[in-house]
Amino acid sequence: MPINVKFLLLLFLSWISPVYVFCQGFQVNFQGQKQQGMGCSGSALVQDASVLFYNPGGACFASKRELNVASTPIFANVMYVDSSTQQVFRTENPVGTPFSCYALIKSQKFHRLAYGLSITTPFGSTVQYEEDWIGRFALTRLAMKVFHLQPTMSFKITDNLGLGAGLVWSSGAVSLQKDLPVQFDDGTFGAAEISGKASGFGYNLGIFYNPGGVLTAGLSYRSGIHMAISSGQVEFNVPEALAPNFPNGALASSLPLPSVTTLGINLRPKNNWNVVLDVNWVGWKTYDTLAFDYENNTPSLLDTKSARNYKNIIAFRTGIQYAVQRNDEDPKVWFRLGGGFGFSPVKAGYLTPETPDANRWYGTAGFSYAFSPHFSMDASVYLTRIQRGDTNLETGLSGTFTTIALAPGIGLNYKW
Amino acid sequence: MVMGMNRIFIPLIVFSFMACKPKKPTPIITAGQADFSTYISVGDGHMAGYMDDGLSLDGQTNSLGAILQQQLMMVGAPPIEMPWMSDQNVGLNLSGLSRLILGYKTDCQGITSLSPVRFSLQGETTSLSTSAYNPSKKFTNFGVPGARMIDLVSTSFGNPNLPQHNPFFARMSMDQFNLPGSGNFSSLQENAFNGGYPTFCSLYLGIEDVLPYAKSGATTNPMSPIAGFPGVGFEESLGQWCEQLYAQNVKAVIATIPNVSLCPFFNTIPYNGLTLDAEKAASLNQIYNPIGISFVVGANPFIVADPNAGMFGVRPAVPGEKILLSVPLDSVKCHQMGSVFPFRNEFVLTLEELSEIQNRIDAFNNIIRQKAATYGFAVVETNAFYQKLSSGFAFNGVTLSSKFVSGGAFSLDGIHLNPRGNAMLANEFIMAINKKFSAKIPLINALAFNAILFP
Repeated sequence: MPINVKFLLLLFLSWISPVYVFCQGFQVNFQGQKQQGMGCSGSALVQDASVLFYNPGGACFASKRELNVASTPIFANVMYVDSSTQQVFRTENPVGTPFSCYALIKSQKFHRLAYGLSITTPFGSTVQYEEDWIGRFALTRLAMKVFHLQPTMSFKITDNLGLGAGLVWSSGAVSLQKDLPVQFDDGTFGAAEISGKASGFGYNLGIFYNPGGVLTAGLSYRSGIHMAISSGQVEFNVPEALAPNFPNGALASSLPLPSVTTLGINLRPKNNWNVVLDVNWVGWKTYDTLAFDYENNTPSLLDTKSARNYKNIIAFRTGIQYAVQRNDEDPKVWFRLGGGFGFSPVKAGYLTPETPDANRWYGTAGFSYAFSPHFSMDASVYLTRIQRGDTNLETGLSGTFTTIALAPGIGLNYKW
Repeated sequence: MVMGMNRIFIPLIVFSFMACKPKKPTPIITAGQADFSTYISVGDGHMAGYMDDGLSLDGQTNSLGAILQQQLMMVGAPPIEMPWMSDQNVGLNLSGLSRLILGYKTDCQGITSLSPVRFSLQGETTSLSTSAYNPSKKFTNFGVPGARMIDLVSTSFGNPNLPQHNPFFARMSMDQFNLPGSGNFSSLQENAFNGGYPTFCSLYLGIEDVLPYAKSGATTNPMSPIAGFPGVGFEESLGQWCEQLYAQNVKAVIATIPNVSLCPFFNTIPYNGLTLDAEKAASLNQIYNPIGISFVVGANPFIVADPNAGMFGVRPAVPGEKILLSVPLDSVKCHQMGSVFPFRNEFVLTLEELSEIQNRIDAFNNIIRQKAATYGFAVVETNAFYQKLSSGFAFNGVTLSSKFVSGGAFSLDGIHLNPRGNAMLANEFIMAINKKFSAKIPLINALAFNAILFP
């Protein structure tokens, strides 16, 4: 066990790096390897400590104390084909590494009670476009990291019904870079970077229902979080003659994270088969404006309000799990398959290089292997390809974004 | 076992990463019914790359003609041949001055600010006495700063003994330095068709048939007449050229003339740019109240000279009138020009003069459209583009407009487009070609071209 703890700590530290987004908007759905293997669904199936994120109401149904860590490196590439010039530009995104860590403790005194702590990265993005790309004056790089720290309590009201609640403290950093259409005397363009730290509070509620037959069901609500950007800074690199027009200085802004409501069911038609289905409602409508309020305004540097006009969306996620069972022993190997469809929150006319989003189909697969009754590992893979053409109303950028994302994930569990 | 795993997994991982990149689409690029295998462009300073009030090598490589041809090379156009200026890039205008750059200038009030200044004391005047003509390298770009439509077929254009003579044409003409004293001077048209007819021709002329008049505040340089023989009247000059092209089965794109008064040269100084404090307003009221003109604190119309304005021949400017960028700004700031001393006629375009110019442009444009329709040429409606610039529009994250310096499309002379503006205008030509000849030529990434360089 001491070796394991050290190992986990090491992994944790190396994971603190930017996270790429490629799920709807800038939401990332990689918080549990078993769920990822089944199309990112499973809020009605309690299998490990990641239930703290997916449905706190199910945590009290966990059978043991448990530690769970996982990471899912995301290899995502965006290609932009400009509609008028037919020129092709690509992103040079760093590999994103969303991670999750969970600790779930069953109370010794009160067997109906469980509590836990999770650290997850449900939102984030690093998009870096190649140098001199055609949309450089809209965006050259966006890096956003958001961590959620969530202490949770879960309580079995009856033998069939569990309730859970978690407080979410969200902390993040954002940096946005773009070129400015002003040129130095050698022809190079000016640039601007906006950066800041943001934080906010939210909560995560869940109900889990297990009538004891072939079906379990779950309903969870993760609240929206208003991320206020504190100590925001804007920095300009412009020709000397224009420096008074573009003063460096403080700025204020905020970024709303949407609420997610999930209804999930899990069917167990046979002892070693599970079929799960989750339906998400994501309250993206909260992201209607991206505003920057500069402390030092000049005629060239006015406060900006860019319409985003996101809409609320629905996503369907489903998957199956097969446990390989020999004789009457506990299963040691599980196989999973899944997929889903999600609508894009981005309306026509509002597609931006920050989140080149589209309605998407995706597929996933996964497996788990138990080394011992205590120690097991999970693996999953996610693949999607999305494509969307649009003409942005604000910037006039007109073209087609194609994104392919491949996300192989791995996780470790320790139960005792 | 471990070896075996590696053999499977490493290729698998490599394959996965490759699959991760979206595949580049194969663009469809065709010339349609057009044939660009021999190509020429003919025009004025826009085609030639005149900008920042001078012709320079940088301007030439970023000319409407060069940028357009560069893109047409994707569909078979030949490489660009132009009468290149010296690589010192000093630039030259017809007054012998160098091109303008953005620099610092201290005005009469001692205030130093950004302003267009000359790149050097003198322009590269030697360019005018050196022939750029090379019989073994035919020009593909026959842009000549200052060329009018009526100069196109005129043999006077290259004759140094006549006022129509244009030294920018002389340096590229096949006869100017080669046949001294022969008394025969070939026209721009003869130069363009010398050595064979092209398969495709881009023509953008007509601005200079009205612009010198407008720039003089409608005092000198009369506009070209509509009627008259080739070389005299607009209609027959263009007609002769078009017939030649048509007879030789040459396809062409022809551009109409934009409303030149939309250029920053005519719009940078507002008609009511006379800003007064209480003291100055009072002193002007003392002078002008007796003739019925009064001033207020704040913005006031400039005072302009107008022989038709009552007995004193002065009046306040009215909305819509244009104060030209040629006004001596120091005189305005420090010597009460435009207030105590009215703006002379040469610095003002009145509403009447503006409509006179607009009517002539409209007449010219109708002729251009009609000829294009007759001979099956594509037409570029440049005025739509200038109008769009005038109201400003977002383009790939950049707002472009016809504002002086900050608009990002016009050069520092306030008349000619800068490289980016030329690229945008070249796109209008390409769209017209694509439409008329069912071609599929991609547009140019105009933001890759320079706008205004700041110190």
